Amino acid sequence: MPTPIIKLEDVHKSYFLANGEEIPILKGISLEIAENEFVAIMGESGGGKSTLLNILGCLHPLNSGSYFLEGEDIGIIQDDYSLAYIRNKKIGFIFQQFNLIQKLTALKNVALPAFYAGMSKGQREDRAAEILSSLGLEERLDYKPNQLSGGQQQRVSIARSLINNPEILLADEPTGALDSKTGAEVMEIFYNLKKEGKTIIMVTHGHEVAKYADRIIWLKDGLVIDHDYKIQS
Amino acid sequence: MNLEILSMAFASINANKVRASLSMLGIIIGVSTVIVVVSISLGAKQTIDNQFKNLSVNSIMIQATRGEGSTTASKLSEADVPKIISDVANIQTGMAVVNGNTQVSVAGKDSKQYSLVGGYTNYFDLSNLVLLNGRIFTDEEITSKAKVAVIGNTVVTDLFDGDANSALGQYLTVSKRKVEIIGVLQIVGSSMRGANNDESIFIPYTTAKKTFLGERAQVRLTILANDVKNIPMAIEDITALLRTNHKIKEDGADDFRIFDAGSLVSTAKDTSNILSILLISIATIVLIVSGIGIMNVMFVTVAERTKEIGIMKAVGAKQKDILIQFLLEAVILSVLGGAIGIILGEIVIPFLNLGGVLKALPSNTGRIIAFSFSVMVGIIFGFYPALKASQLDPVDALRSE
Repeated sequence: MPTPIIKLEDVHKSYFLANGEEIPILKGISLEIAENEFVAIMGESGGGKSTLLNILGCLHPLNSGSYFLEGEDIGIIQDDYSLAYIRNKKIGFIFQQFNLIQKLTALKNVALPAFYAGMSKGQREDRAAEILSSLGLEERLDYKPNQLSGGQQQRVSIARSLINNPEILLADEPTGALDSKTGAEVMEIFYNLKKEGKTIIMVTHGHEVAKYADRIIWLKDGLVIDHDYKIQS
Repeated sequence: MNLEILSMAFASINANKVRASLSMLGIIIGVSTVIVVVSISLGAKQTIDNQFKNLSVNSIMIQATRGEGSTTASKLSEADVPKIISDVANIQTGMAVVNGNTQVSVAGKDSKQYSLVGGYTNYFDLSNLVLLNGRIFTDEEITSKAKVAVIGNTVVTDLFDGDANSALGQYLTVSKRKVEIIGVLQIVGSSMRGANNDESIFIPYTTAKKTFLGERAQVRLTILANDVKNIPMAIEDITALLRTNHKIKEDGADDFRIFDAGSLVSTAKDTSNILSILLISIATIVLIVSGIGIMNVMFVTVAERTKEIGIMKAVGAKQKDILIQFLLEAVILSVLGGAIGIILGEIVIPFLNLGGVLKALPSNTGRIIAFSFSVMVGIIFGFYPALKASQLDPVDALRSE
């Protein structure tokens, strides 16, 4: 087996309450994800799925353990500059609530990560328009998020995650706020992105949604209890 | 790319105009205060400089006073001048002056009141007065008590419609007596402690005493020392000399008072400096308060846009990017406020001059000080909220609504 694109070794993560009490969320997660794999992370609420995703997305530091991204241990990286670089170039994030900036148009929302990557205005807006068009939003470039339907907003959000051409996409319940039909449309997009070579890690509750994935990792109480969970049909 | 951060900052400010203008209000008031304050203190400085510009710092002025408890008139007179010059060390020269107010008219014009000055031939040199045309009076005219006059520029404007040439050789009626005009002075344009040389008529000292002001008119002496550092010593010597000459007893009070120009100037400058410091302190306080206002608004902005900050971080914004964006917003607010404040100050300044009490001079110094103050306020008070914004935890920020 080639070097996994993502590898976690015995990752622990706790939250600390104001009174100093420790709430452990992840209690020693180890997992490997291969390049171009489409993995769904499932499990009960409170099992640590979102926290895991935030750690993979370098939004959270881990308390202990190792996080290898493309073979490099980035779990020890603390400096903002490097973490921001990884979030910007290596990883694309897609959220349940889309998390678009309301005052910016669809085009500008998509172009934002490229702005932080230092791409020129003309270049990044051309590229943003291209990606939005490929997702069927060529008529909606200048719409603000509140003028778009949920499905359209999620497609804008996916376009944003793609603008800097990252290898990894992290999706946190991407269909959670959508009806099943639009949810299925969004999953088709993910399916195509996988075919184009992206590595996708998706947190979800929905079994229908999880069926698009190559493999399901099942989390319970902060531990991986199944690396290749099979949905009973 | 930096220009784009700028336009993003402008867009955020634009999105909340009311709040932006409210937060700018403090800066506007602060900066216009600075502009007004600087112009007032510059005006005060100029007024003082003008008041004393005809006055050499080496000059010592002696005025007649009535000795305390004494009923006799002061013995101060023109006769003291040669004695002071010959007996006191480090004295260059000196002169005696008498003056009073008088009604003056020419044929076909209403009479007007002017200051009548009786002096010697050296009066014009020692007072830095320059002839426009004609001549000044001669020693012979002083001896002969001739009725000749050199007139100030305003007198020409008032009585001869500004035509200095036509005034020469004409006669003024001063207290019903004819006086021939022999010279016209250049415009001075300012007053020295009440007496305005432009509104004065200068005649020989002897003529003034004999014909117009009377033998008992009070005399002023101006004595010029050769160096400002010799003035305290000279004042002591002059005091001793005058007391001896005026036969004042050991315990009697002086029948004269001595001022020196240097201390008059420095007292006036001290007063105006204290005024400036006071006004600048007030302006500084206003600016600090306005800075706190900006800081408050920036905290509210950061709180409102927490989610946006989370999104920006999630898609790759560095702390530095967020710090710069919010700092820039604060600086734009304060710079805009500063610019409006400067304009407002410039509008206010002419109104201050209307009353005639204050003199306010608009200046680039004031504009530069005010503008740099406003930029500094933006940076100093915008920094902390911007730093807080940049240090937000991305996950917490994303969770906020």
